[in-house]
Amino acid sequence: MRKLTRLAPLALVAALALTSCSAPAASDEAVTADSAASISYAIWDENQVPALEANIAAFNEIYPNIEVKIDITPWAQYFTKLQTQASGDTLPDVFWMNGPNFQLYAANDQLEPMTNVIDDGSVDPANYVEVLNDLYSYDDVQYGMPKDFDTVALWYNQAILTEAGVATPDDTWTWDDFHTAAKTVSDNLADQGIYGVATGLTGGQEGYYNTILQAGGSILSDDGTTSGYDDPKTIRGLQFWADLIADGSSPNLQQLSDTPHNAWFTSSKTAFFWSGTWSVAELAAASNTLDLNVAPLPQDEKQATVIHGLANVVSANSANKGAAQAFQAYLGSEEAQTLQAEMGAANPAFIGAGQAFLDSVDHFDLQVFIDEADNYAYPFPVSKDTAAWTSIENELLPQAFSGARTVEDVADELATRMNEALAAE
Amino acid sequence: MTLRTGSTTEESRAPAAVPPVRPAPKKKQKNFDGYWPWLFVLPTLLGVLGFYIWPIIQTGYLSFTETGPFGGEEFIGLDNYQTMLADGNVGQALINTLVYTVIVLAGIPIALLMANLVNQPGLKFASFYRVLFFMPYIAMPTAVALVWRMIYNGDFGILNWLLSLVGIDGPYWTSTPGFAIVSVGIVGMWASLGFGIIILGAALKNISPEYYEAAQLDGATKWKQFTAITVPLVTPSLFFVTIISVINGFQLFDLLYAIMGQYNPALVQSQSLVYIFYNQAFIQNDKGYAAAIGMLILVVIGIVTFFQFRMQKKWVNYV
Amino acid sequence: MSKESLSPAQQGANSVRTHLVLGIIGFVMVFPFIWQLVISLSTNDQVMSVPPTFWPGDLQWGNFVDVFTKLPFFDQFGVSVGITVIRVIGQVVLCSMAGYAFARMRFRGRGVFLAVILSILMVPPQVYLIPQFQIIQNLGLLNTFIGIALPGIFSAFGVFLMRQIFLGLPLELEEAARLDGANPFQIFYKIMLPLATPGISALVIITTLWSWNDLLWPLVVTTYAEKMPVSAGLATLAGSITTDYPVMMAASVLAMAPVLILFIILQRRVVEGLAFSGSK
Repeated sequence: MRKLTRLAPLALVAALALTSCSAPAASDEAVTADSAASISYAIWDENQVPALEANIAAFNEIYPNIEVKIDITPWAQYFTKLQTQASGDTLPDVFWMNGPNFQLYAANDQLEPMTNVIDDGSVDPANYVEVLNDLYSYDDVQYGMPKDFDTVALWYNQAILTEAGVATPDDTWTWDDFHTAAKTVSDNLADQGIYGVATGLTGGQEGYYNTILQAGGSILSDDGTTSGYDDPKTIRGLQFWADLIADGSSPNLQQLSDTPHNAWFTSSKTAFFWSGTWSVAELAAASNTLDLNVAPLPQDEKQATVIHGLANVVSANSANKGAAQAFQAYLGSEEAQTLQAEMGAANPAFIGAGQAFLDSVDHFDLQVFIDEADNYAYPFPVSKDTAAWTSIENELLPQAFSGARTVEDVADELATRMNEALAAE
Repeated sequence: MTLRTGSTTEESRAPAAVPPVRPAPKKKQKNFDGYWPWLFVLPTLLGVLGFYIWPIIQTGYLSFTETGPFGGEEFIGLDNYQTMLADGNVGQALINTLVYTVIVLAGIPIALLMANLVNQPGLKFASFYRVLFFMPYIAMPTAVALVWRMIYNGDFGILNWLLSLVGIDGPYWTSTPGFAIVSVGIVGMWASLGFGIIILGAALKNISPEYYEAAQLDGATKWKQFTAITVPLVTPSLFFVTIISVINGFQLFDLLYAIMGQYNPALVQSQSLVYIFYNQAFIQNDKGYAAAIGMLILVVIGIVTFFQFRMQKKWVNYV
Repeated sequence: MSKESLSPAQQGANSVRTHLVLGIIGFVMVFPFIWQLVISLSTNDQVMSVPPTFWPGDLQWGNFVDVFTKLPFFDQFGVSVGITVIRVIGQVVLCSMAGYAFARMRFRGRGVFLAVILSILMVPPQVYLIPQFQIIQNLGLLNTFIGIALPGIFSAFGVFLMRQIFLGLPLELEEAARLDGANPFQIFYKIMLPLATPGISALVIITTLWSWNDLLWPLVVTTYAEKMPVSAGLATLAGSITTDYPVMMAASVLAMAPVLILFIILQRRVVEGLAFSGSK
């Protein structure tokens, strides 16, 4: 190390010479149909590019001189790249945001508030699912234009249910009904290696967040400052999954790692699959698609599902803020979101624009997802530093689901460590 | 061919079991080569300082700070290092990284044997075999990882199917703590054999056939020839491959992530040092703590490499 | 094909046992690629189903067509070639010069500078990401060939490799040339560099491969698909929820092909070229 320090001054000089900063000049003038600008739009899903290009083409009929260029980065590197860009004040003008990362960017002044576009009437928040407006607001200021939403429901394979002699699920099912059905499938079809249910247990959106809410528990307090994992009702929501694995109604965690949950279901190796709106396209293309359909999640103390959706946000440092906000507002319009639904890209956040989504696959009862959103959807839990405690969830909960430790024991440790992480925010 | 005529007295001693050792540097005989060396090294040195050393210095500084997610830092002394020492995951990751590195290093003798096999004079299809052996090195990690996941799959993979034929009930290779890092290590070894074969193969071609001919006259077995002539003569290249393999082994990241997948219950027990660095820097946004882990990686590799250089006098023979 | 012309040792080289061993190892090494090829001709449903289908039956050549509709493949291919050429030329020039100096020249601080250069190998590349991005940004080189390629033309690995290569070459010729009055650059360029050809071929192959597969850096310094190299373009095919694996595999097969061909061409040079640098 002695060798390094002797060189430090030299490197410092070299680096200082290189890091002379050039701050972009923000232009806040009002945007008109004649405004000319070029803005970038960062996204992570290649499958949605055709629909977004159609959106851009329609946007250009109103603003012919605003060029929008799509910047696609794979999901695995998306937020790494955003952070790197933020460190150099070169965030894309408009970009996709998700719930877990939103508050981090909003609280650190990286995002442009939507206050002016809401005040001048170009965006009316009342048009969007309210929970999503809340998800993308920080300190009562809205930053994100809701783009789409996901709720979670119970997918099932009718052919397997029939073979196992199990009834088709409906909105009256309780946890007990579900567990009995799943166990029956595992028992009756064990010789074919078929299990009752598979779901993703890394991250709670597909599985345990829903059951925690159904049991009346919570993941995070409403004010986002304390963990809900020491609540006995929350523990009950976790126990549900531990029990399913323990008695063989579900493949164990190792089996779910080696063969992901969606592969179990599309290979007709499980009868049930807890998953969200995002699975529609994949399940519609699966070879067993005609056996598949969807029903509401079973209930415990109450009916519940988490709801999450993406939003389009504008960079606070955008050099073309006016054009970027015009594009952001356009992406929220009924026209743009209807087009998204028609092209099968997403289930729109604009209330009532989802008809095309419902019609997209005839043999799935997709109304289930909309009804859930209208009646008993709860916001995806997020805080300022969501990643800090979701990583603790992912570290500890496998020990509970695998039966290595009791659920109470794990939940207790999780609550303690999560509270420490929340206090550090 | 011209080289062959420029024989020296040393040459007449061939074949020696231990090849001629480079004469000790003539220290007394001054003398620096004036400004010439600087012309040769300055472009590289400047680029390295600007693009690499400076970031390392920055990282070193950040490791003593608490950073905001988008810049802005506060000096906190050794706190990050104290956290690191108390963090059981870091210790586990260090062990995992070492296990992985050792497995990859175990590939070096295999690479040497394979390079030796494929470089035999008169071997037919030699270039064909060389291409086969080299192919894993071309592979893109994300693409081969999918295939390896299918091979390792505990319920439906062909590895466990093959084992079942001989009555062995194979484990869930990639999702059982302990097995997982070994499984990843085997893929790492598979992927890096090609690199060793290239470098060592080139070195093998450097060995004069006369050594072997003379040894054959003495009645030395193939194995004896391999251990007494081949291995000592390729030690500089072995040294190089070892250094690079250790360094690459310590940087395990993509492969681990791609093979284990995101739903893996063994991930926490199987993470590598760089994995923790990446997680802290870009997922948890704790760049100060991440920087401390980055410095730990630098120091550990630095120490290992330093000792390798010290040890090389004991086993590496430069011509 | 006359066996009589082979020496006994050479006949031994071609024994059934040798070819059996080489064949089995070769198959193990290449098996994942064969499977990858099979996947590239399957449907995604077949790839995702368990137990695995080893033969898709109906070969999906359309997956290869999809690569070209989903990605600006030719643009990206051009970028890959461009940045790789810049990096390879840069590394061959800079690393062989620096490697030679570290191997054969005497100057103050030689050991220290070598240690400094080697130390950069010991830090994970992710550490450099943000600082290098800021440098490239400040130089105004985002989204350019040069911007992607620039940090990669300086290589500690290459310096170290070339140093080891030069250390392995005989001293006598150099001394003879020096007595003839050649200056150090002439000695390097006219005498030592040609001798190091096999090592340079190895450096070319390794740099090409690294550059061709480099992923995170080009993703971060480029913004638009047509400015990305193939490696980054390929990665964009991986979805956040589902991935069309056959198309990804087809793209990866297409991306691998040029490097494989380069190796097939160069491997003869690596091996045969080395016969001239007999170290005795």
